Amino acid sequence: MAVDYLILNIIIWFSIYLIIALSLNIEYGYAGIPNFGRAMAVLIGAIAVGGIVNRVLLHILSIDGEIIQSTGILKSTVNSMISQNPLLGIGILVFSLVVAGLIGALAGGLFIIPSVKLRNDYLAITLLAISEVLYLISNYNRSIIGGYYGVNTPDILAWVPGEHRLFGFAILGLILALLVYLFTERLLTSPFGRLLKAMRENEDVVKSFGRDPFKLKVKTVAIGSGVAAMAGAFYSLLSSNVIASTFFRVEWTFFPFLMILLGGSGNNKGVVLGVLSFVVAKVLLIVYKFEIKDILNLPFEATWLEYILFGSIMLLILYYKPHGLLEEKPIFTPALKELKKKNQKI
Amino acid sequence: MTPNYLKIGIGELNMAVLEGAIVYSNLLVLLGIGLIITYITTGVPNFAQGSMAIFGSYISLSLWLTFGINPYFSLPISFLFGGTLGILIYLIFLKPLIRKEAKVVTLMIATLAIDIIFLGILGAYAETLRTIVRKSTKKFIFTPLDFDFFQFDGILIISSLIIVTIFITLFYLLHRTKFGIAMRASMENPSLAEIMGINVEYTRIFSWFLSGSFAALAGSLLPFRQEIVPLTGTVIIVSIFAASIVGGLGSIYGALAGGYIIGISESAITFYLSGFFGPGILVYGKVISLTILVTTLILAPKGIVGLKIWRNKIWPWIT
Repeated sequence: MAVDYLILNIIIWFSIYLIIALSLNIEYGYAGIPNFGRAMAVLIGAIAVGGIVNRVLLHILSIDGEIIQSTGILKSTVNSMISQNPLLGIGILVFSLVVAGLIGALAGGLFIIPSVKLRNDYLAITLLAISEVLYLISNYNRSIIGGYYGVNTPDILAWVPGEHRLFGFAILGLILALLVYLFTERLLTSPFGRLLKAMRENEDVVKSFGRDPFKLKVKTVAIGSGVAAMAGAFYSLLSSNVIASTFFRVEWTFFPFLMILLGGSGNNKGVVLGVLSFVVAKVLLIVYKFEIKDILNLPFEATWLEYILFGSIMLLILYYKPHGLLEEKPIFTPALKELKKKNQKI
Repeated sequence: MTPNYLKIGIGELNMAVLEGAIVYSNLLVLLGIGLIITYITTGVPNFAQGSMAIFGSYISLSLWLTFGINPYFSLPISFLFGGTLGILIYLIFLKPLIRKEAKVVTLMIATLAIDIIFLGILGAYAETLRTIVRKSTKKFIFTPLDFDFFQFDGILIISSLIIVTIFITLFYLLHRTKFGIAMRASMENPSLAEIMGINVEYTRIFSWFLSGSFAALAGSLLPFRQEIVPLTGTVIIVSIFAASIVGGLGSIYGALAGGYIIGISESAITFYLSGFFGPGILVYGKVISLTILVTTLILAPKGIVGLKIWRNKIWPWIT
């Protein structure tokens, strides 16, 4: 049982973090945009579930009252409906993902506009600031997603017996992660992906070929944020409640950066490797947190040790392996391959 | 539940709020100078500036809880310790990366990592200290330790004195001494300064010393105004960035203007607005900073010191 639990946890966290890391890879790895506000997009995904989908359901079922209490009633009502009709659960999942993707993309594209024309350092500062402020507001304001009390969300797998619930979410997560992987792979091997890489290397080149870096950056961050918001929505449905304070920037901005730099930014296979190694380490740390505390005789929580550890790993990667475990390879388009063949013949 | 100062009507001139706003602005100025000075010499915005300040808070707290030293008297220790920390950050973490000609983004990620490490150290330290002294260390405030000086809070006097002293010293140092002129030269054009025989490395180390020590000073004084938790640094970083960008990342004098604009609007303006919209609006202080930050980026990305009126009219008049 313990091993099952461990493996299922690794799979679920792998799926969630893979989606976020891939979204960041589109922005940072390919386009070179340092989005230090990744946590914001994830939080927006959670708001889409806790604040929007919840309200839609409340309206349909005409349950009144404040969002914190009424979602409790909503949860039990919808759960009993889902246990009768599994399709409803899947419907809620798809609807949540669509809503999250849309408002995530909208918010991402909107919030990058003020600083997009400035240098990368200004961009990073502004995105981090916006993300922190949204985090603070949703933590204090109880009318969005219940502030620090949080809100309940329906259990989309209410028809699955309790002991198989994690298994169900692991399957759903893997499917979602696979879809996102295929989408990003398709997107980034297209001319669009090469355009992004060109912009990362030299914006003037992109300009001279008649493309507008401004539009390109807004579009890229919109896509990335939409994808990351979906991960936030999935995570909220998995934990079947939304509490704003869980969307802290260490977990959702810093760790994704760590994963893609560990695996190798600018290449999706590297990202998969990075996410997998990170998640295995993290889940082991979470599961054995009390044992670690006892063995090392720590007078403090193991979480702090985790921060110190992962922060140090990041610095080591930056210094010793700035290209990550799997280095980014040049792209061979069909035309380029043909040219190479011709050259070999000569 | 409502604190006393919220019950005061709109029309009354509220000295307490104004005092609080000035203290907060003074501390933001300190943090802003630190951020700007390392930005100018090293070219990287330091995302760990907030946590560096909280280091200062914990130094003061430890000295108070263990030896009973009043936080005001431990300021020099805090100053030196913070400065050392700044130098260490530069020498251990950033200099090796700069040597390898890392990009700005890499350096920014490195300071983000340093911030996370600090967060971990602060949290672990706070909990360890709690088991030793058996007092609340994960949430603390110094206001009961403050003194009164002719109806004014001690913190208002002390923080203002510190700002005045620092600006006079910095001005004298940068414009009247040889080292200062060398430092300004290496800030404006490092390669040219190097040709002239200036050791740019010294100025970088010195700037990190100043940045760290100013941050620690601000951190030691901050608990006189607000409650401190290990995560406070991650919250005030928004205001620090806003203050430095509004003032302008190009000059340390920008921090003075930026710190006051952000500090006053964040505390005083939000307070007066709360008279109209109720106390709920108080948590939106950071939204005001953010709005000012974004507006500045759109209208004048170089901040106040980048404005023509500053460069042509005000700055020549000061020097």
